[in-house]
Amino acid sequence: MSISIKNVSKNFVHFPALDDVSFSVEKGELVALLGPSGSGKTTLLRIIAGLEFPEIGQVFFEGEDVTELSAYKRKAGFVFQSYALFQHMNVFENVAFGLRVRRSADRPTEEVIQQRVQSLLETVQLPEQARKLPAQLSGGQRQRIAFARALAIEPKVLLLDEPFGALDAKVRKDLRQWLRAFQNQTHLTSLFVTHDQEEAFEVADRVVIIDKGKIQQIGTPNEVRSHPANAFVEDFLGLAPAGP
Amino acid sequence: MAGAIALLKPRMAARRAATSESLVIKVIFITIVLAFFALFLVLPLVVVFQEAFSKGLTVFLKTFEDRATAHAVWLTLLVAAIAVPLNTIFGVTAAWSISRFRFRGRSFLITLIDLPLWISPVVGGLIYVLVFGAQGWLGPWLQANDIRVIFAIPGIVLVTVFVTFPFVARGLIPLMQAQGAREEEAAATLGANGWQMFMRVTLPKIKWGLLYGVILCNARAMGEFGAVSVVSGHIRGKTNTMPLHIEILYNEYHFASAFAVASVLALLALLSLAIKTFAEWQFARQLRQTNM
Amino acid sequence: MAAKHLRKVLPGFGLTIGWTLIYLTLIVLIPLSALFLKTASGGWEHIWGTVTEPRVLASLRVSFGVSLAAALCNGFFGVLAAWVLARYEFPGRKLLDAMVDLPFALPTAVAGIALTAIYAPNGMIGSLLMPYDIKVAYTQLGIFIALVFIGLPFVVRTVQPVIQDLSAEVEEAAATLGAGRWQTFQRIIFPAVLPSILTGTTLAYGRAVGEFGSVVFIAGNIPGKTEIAPLLIITKLEQYDYTGAAAIGFVMLVGAFVILLVSNGLQSWDNKRRGLA
Repeated sequence: MSISIKNVSKNFVHFPALDDVSFSVEKGELVALLGPSGSGKTTLLRIIAGLEFPEIGQVFFEGEDVTELSAYKRKAGFVFQSYALFQHMNVFENVAFGLRVRRSADRPTEEVIQQRVQSLLETVQLPEQARKLPAQLSGGQRQRIAFARALAIEPKVLLLDEPFGALDAKVRKDLRQWLRAFQNQTHLTSLFVTHDQEEAFEVADRVVIIDKGKIQQIGTPNEVRSHPANAFVEDFLGLAPAGP
Repeated sequence: MAGAIALLKPRMAARRAATSESLVIKVIFITIVLAFFALFLVLPLVVVFQEAFSKGLTVFLKTFEDRATAHAVWLTLLVAAIAVPLNTIFGVTAAWSISRFRFRGRSFLITLIDLPLWISPVVGGLIYVLVFGAQGWLGPWLQANDIRVIFAIPGIVLVTVFVTFPFVARGLIPLMQAQGAREEEAAATLGANGWQMFMRVTLPKIKWGLLYGVILCNARAMGEFGAVSVVSGHIRGKTNTMPLHIEILYNEYHFASAFAVASVLALLALLSLAIKTFAEWQFARQLRQTNM
Repeated sequence: MAAKHLRKVLPGFGLTIGWTLIYLTLIVLIPLSALFLKTASGGWEHIWGTVTEPRVLASLRVSFGVSLAAALCNGFFGVLAAWVLARYEFPGRKLLDAMVDLPFALPTAVAGIALTAIYAPNGMIGSLLMPYDIKVAYTQLGIFIALVFIGLPFVVRTVQPVIQDLSAEVEEAAATLGAGRWQTFQRIIFPAVLPSILTGTTLAYGRAVGEFGSVVFIAGNIPGKTEIAPLLIITKLEQYDYTGAAAIGFVMLVGAFVILLVSNGLQSWDNKRRGLA
């Protein structure tokens, strides 16, 4: 499913978070929202998810205007930076949650839920952890469960907020590669937020560079590196002209 | 125009933060809570003042000219003036020992400190009667030495101390635990002795928690009824605190006077709440500014 | 841990712990032991005999029974109040928040006569209910109302911080997974808050059981119907029946202790679940 952002602006009480942002994500693309902290990238992601609402502008999912739609109707899978796992439920119940809360008409049977959850746990390579509590898992494991949980609802789009931020370097690398492989396989339209350019360039098909609520440049990693659009991009990517 | 507004409405309704209820539900909840508070909290307060002035300002003022009433006020102040400082010292020393050191029986000690909050105030009075009363342990000895504890002021002071001593400690212990001993340790390495450490390092940090505890302790000390009722003997003009005097006035159908005295205590309660809120606010400010 | 190290660095352990223990012994332990000894001296048969006197039994039933009803009522409304205070913004919210502690600060006797004035047959609300033959003052309903007043802050203040600590992200996650607001409440919020609700209700219960001043005016103190146990203790003392009074006091103490244990157990269960302990 494609995502399209048109002229989105958002103000918080003290400052403007986003200023006339427009871009689109093609179906099956993996796009990175890259920028320094405070650039507005997380706000943008949350607007796409329905967790925030813009003052101006629209969000389209596959051409349909979802700007006013509440989060729980959008079917956008969201992976939080802090995982936001349900502490009092075990891994199985966490992943099954999205299936259990469906309206009875759409709710799958217990068997189907079992199968789906088990298969998802295998996808994230944690098939044995079904009965554990989140507190008993490592950071990387919790992150993968958060993935599995978001995938369980068969989302049309996957949104990730600094998904690897709180993990150490080796785990980050492994998960990055896993994400790329997963996306190659499933072609699930995905959008993720990061401040780490190495991560963005390694994983994404295209990169959207944001600073102070404004888009600075959009392009493939190669395009951006070889033709930085302005001084900020140069500086942020460390592409300053050769020094002494 | 109306059509445009009609178009707007469903859009506004659909747009709702993921973590909040619909406006209708919010309004219902708030109304229920307001009604509940109004009925159970505000109404009694209003009634106290209303009844106090029901016979006019003169009767109100005359109440306090009565000797017995004036004595009750004096006694209440005296009891608080003794109990609160004693319990404050206890609270500070207990908080220091509990929050700055590890030792066996620490949690038992904390439970022990909480005890008076769990015991009925009447039982609190009862146990003191069992010790100091005529048939109590020290009864005979006290009588022999012509010392009156029960049915006299010392008894009232003692039970008030018993009933109110947890407040300061409970206000300080979690606070001092959360703050940790880092700064005191630094002071020690710089050569400060215990007293200096406490006065210069600890006290400034805990002052708002201390105020909070002292205010609550005082409010309870002045308002204690059940425990004092048991040990006081209700001797008019001699061993009645304000709450007991209110009871006497009430039982004698001097309603306006009873409420007049009650209104003074109610005013004190409101003042205590205001100071408590002030202390909390100042404490939050302190936290923000110093990040401790 | 650094206990030994601390003990050397920070002064005052001996002094403070010494004074604390002396104070506690004098003020708490010695008088309490007087109660135990007095009760013991009467022997179990005497305790049993006193407690099973019809009047005593009735008073215990009133004290423990009506307190439970009041605690449950506070459990429900207290949670609602905690939610509204923690989550919503509206004019007067801060004032309301400060008011919650009124029952802590207001002398029980003042509350007692105020409530009686309101609910007596000629009172503000009492007179409204008279035509419907609903009596509040001098009945157990009056005791109930007084105990609800007393217990209100306990539930609110126990639950409020837990609600405030709830991570918004977890609720957002539930929303992104398709849960409606009610479902989110049922499956995510309520389980997280339940232990504190139980703790707060238990605290309110323990407090209400021993309550005297605010009840004794509105209750009417009719033996067998609206007489509370603490009053009976006083009555027995006035009759110089020290052992009888001690027996009732002992039973109340044991009851309060059990409630305390349950409350502590609930608290530590909650702490464990939230990963704090």
